[in-house]
Amino acid sequence: MPLNPDVLWYKDAIIYQVHVRTFHDSNGDGIGDFQGLEAKLDYLQELGINTIWLMPFFPSPLRDDGYDIADYQNVHPSYGTLEDFRKFLESAHDRGIRIIIELVANHTSDQHPWFQESRSSQDNPRRDWYVWSDTDTRYKDTRIIFLDTEKSNWAWDPVSKSFYWHRFFSHQPDLNYDNPAVREQMWEVMKFWLDMGVDGFRLDAVPYLVEREGTNCENLPETHLVLKELRRKLDENSPGRMLLAEANQWPADLRPYFGDGDEFHMAFHFPLMPRMFMGLKLEDRKPITEILQQTPEIPPICQWSLFLRNHDELTLEMVTDVERDYMYDSYAVSKMMRLNLGIRRRLAPLLDNDRRRIELMNGMLMSLPGTPIIYYGDEIGMGDNINLGDRNGVRTPMQWNGETNAGFSTAPPEHLYAPLIQDPVYGYQAVNVLRQKASEHSLFNWMQRILAVRRSTGAFGRGAIEFLYPANHRILAYVRRLGNETILVVNNLSSSAQAVELNLRGYKGNIPIEMFGRNMFPRVGDLPYLLTMGPYQFYWFRLRRL
Amino acid sequence: MAEESFLTDDFLRQLINVGEVDILVGLPTHNNAKTVGSVVHAIQSGILSGFPRERAVIINADGGSRDGTPDLVTGVSIDDMRPASKLYALRTLHSITTKYGSSPASGVAFRTILAAAELLRAKACVVLSPESANIEPAWLSKLLQPVYRDGFDLVTPMYRRHKFEGLLITNLLYPMTRALYGKRIYEAYAPEFGFSGRLGTQFLGQDVWTDGTDGAGVELRFTLAAITGKFPICQSFLGEKVHVERSSADLVPALRQTVGTLFAALDRDFPVWGAVTGCEPVPSNGTDQEVLLEPLRVNRKRLREMFSSGVAELESVFQSILSPSTLAELQRISRLGEDECRYSAELWVRTIYEFAASYQKSVISRDHIIQALAPLFRGRAFTFLTEHRNASADEVERSIEDLCLEFERLKPYLLEIWKPRE
Repeated sequence: MPLNPDVLWYKDAIIYQVHVRTFHDSNGDGIGDFQGLEAKLDYLQELGINTIWLMPFFPSPLRDDGYDIADYQNVHPSYGTLEDFRKFLESAHDRGIRIIIELVANHTSDQHPWFQESRSSQDNPRRDWYVWSDTDTRYKDTRIIFLDTEKSNWAWDPVSKSFYWHRFFSHQPDLNYDNPAVREQMWEVMKFWLDMGVDGFRLDAVPYLVEREGTNCENLPETHLVLKELRRKLDENSPGRMLLAEANQWPADLRPYFGDGDEFHMAFHFPLMPRMFMGLKLEDRKPITEILQQTPEIPPICQWSLFLRNHDELTLEMVTDVERDYMYDSYAVSKMMRLNLGIRRRLAPLLDNDRRRIELMNGMLMSLPGTPIIYYGDEIGMGDNINLGDRNGVRTPMQWNGETNAGFSTAPPEHLYAPLIQDPVYGYQAVNVLRQKASEHSLFNWMQRILAVRRSTGAFGRGAIEFLYPANHRILAYVRRLGNETILVVNNLSSSAQAVELNLRGYKGNIPIEMFGRNMFPRVGDLPYLLTMGPYQFYWFRLRRL
Repeated sequence: MAEESFLTDDFLRQLINVGEVDILVGLPTHNNAKTVGSVVHAIQSGILSGFPRERAVIINADGGSRDGTPDLVTGVSIDDMRPASKLYALRTLHSITTKYGSSPASGVAFRTILAAAELLRAKACVVLSPESANIEPAWLSKLLQPVYRDGFDLVTPMYRRHKFEGLLITNLLYPMTRALYGKRIYEAYAPEFGFSGRLGTQFLGQDVWTDGTDGAGVELRFTLAAITGKFPICQSFLGEKVHVERSSADLVPALRQTVGTLFAALDRDFPVWGAVTGCEPVPSNGTDQEVLLEPLRVNRKRLREMFSSGVAELESVFQSILSPSTLAELQRISRLGEDECRYSAELWVRTIYEFAASYQKSVISRDHIIQALAPLFRGRAFTFLTEHRNASADEVERSIEDLCLEFERLKPYLLEIWKPRE
């Protein structure tokens, strides 16, 4: 299957986020690898995704799950070789699946040779590759991101006898982007992978690239200049590739990362995600519609990226204190579930394994404006293990079957990189791909169907959105339009049946055709269009004028 | 043939869209454009600060306003159509309005609010006055918390009143209700109060809505229903009661709504109050009733003149209502000059009890009985104003307490002259 040649392919993408370590182990060492991942590409193609976002797989001491990089141009030996990666990439492309890889641009591991050189002496040529200081008082207006573990953004280096700047863990020193050599080197890293054929990069932690005294060291103009430069080179060198920004910011602060279409192609809509969970619990569309009303227009070639869960905690940084308290009380009653102003749980446990709510949330993910991302395992409703520390509880081995090690690996169970989920509800014996593929009404098969329906129209990925505001606030309704195609989406956020009257006067004469069963509904007339909806039910209607 | 509903289709549709709520705020209005905006704003603030996670709705029952009052109420709702609001809300705060008639009728308004509370399965409700221009957001918590979180079914207010304000309450309603029903509820007939959905539903089902009065005074009946139904009641101190100027022509309608309602209730509730002895305090939140002492202009002379002339002109009516000794004493004091004329507590209590008994027996038209009370109330008011002209807050409160004790002491007299129904 050839790759979609359209330069705006990312608007039609359905992205699957996965860490190679978690997916499938081919050599029996208990750790997933690229050969194993390649072997599972058929599964992903069958599911219906067309893009894979790979989490960091470069060499790393793995103190932050690979986000602490020790070598930008290689593959961690646990996951295979560069050649394994190339083969995987080629196999993915053969199936029409694009590959986005992670680029942790803001910092490296303290084990990276660059840092080892930088710290070795004040005169080392790489001294200025990192941000050093004789005191720990600079940039004092900067917030700490990993609140649970870090007390300062400065760490003392006994080798160098000075402080170095780190926005994340102390073993992840920040690179100094004021240094042209750093910028040039990072481009060389990108070029290396682009020449190999990767289709894009997710740039991690981009708001923090540059520091300036008297600021909060986030979203600075100088940071945007760095990013624009990288984008310019990308377009010159490898047109049609994509940059995705990880910037956990309010919508107004996110907007600059798109520039005038000359910075990032895509950015995660972080503020929307917790509000989807909030709206569901409140049974009120207000949090969702409000944040989308506050979301600025972005350049036509740009795209939001939407997600429900990912490898990190469900971040509650971009909500108010009142909202955060509500989310904690609603979704993380146990303090063990909370980490760094967030909640470290997977989708299914967050929703009490309620199939209807899982479907509704995925329905919104697939129909709101943006490119959806599915976190690996959520397509079968995998659970989590909050006892594993940090965010490891949502990064457990993929559950392929009910056999030994869930079919993830042939290694002895104690050799697995992380223990399997084994509780009676989410354990691999109950929740696994094999069992779900065999069941017509499983979550996997449902996800397959919804992805197919999503792919059947370009309106979801590229269309405009018009919110309807029915008087019943438990209903979130909107219309997606692209050219002649009009899709009406109606979501019942309530746990009880609801009646809703929609003002569809502008669509009078259209016949709503429900997109899953393809059945006709009564034609739209002059009167408000009455729908009755079951708990957590949603409809996608194609409005057809004949 | 199906009975016609008093709820309009449009109102029902609005209620459907709101769905189940935890908190319901009832706001009966009629031409309150001057004050309703600040009232609604205080309601919003009160809900957002006291009940930020609860599902809430404001139900405006309007009696045909012509000054745009309903639009002012709904214009300040917090929903996703108005993201510019400075008040932050987790949820949609609904605000819906219905017109129940072309002229104000408090009973109909209250019935509408109760019906909405039942349909929306509201757990805790509050009725607020659109004239309370000094309402504070904290009032919401004070009237709702005891219901929503502490298990009470009725929360009546307590105010900081001027010593000469609310004389109908301090000299009649409060002491009489207390003596007969056995509960020390300061404001049994208040413009703002909180209640549970449970109590509201129970009262909605009572036969009080079809007696041709349009439910005037129904709020007092509500309090009495809570007492006779043994619902847990408490009181919350709200603050200063804004003085609303009333003309003397308002006295008879006020008597109808208060005293008329109370007398009618006594007839129905005799099995309860007839057996009550003594009275007990009601739990209170905040400080007790407070008394303000600033100077207040009142025309005492006019009050005495209306008392004297009333006693003379209505002698034949009073002969049907009062005992000979009571009437004789009234006639004697009505002829005294301003310095000597005093309507004592004992005489006042006997007067009221004889009026109540006469009302119950319908010796003459009940409405005439109520009307006839007007000049006598003025006489009592004159005495109270004169005796407490320079009184301190403590002295006023002691005086009211003495009056309450007099009502209690003479309760056997009422029982003696009362004629229970067969």
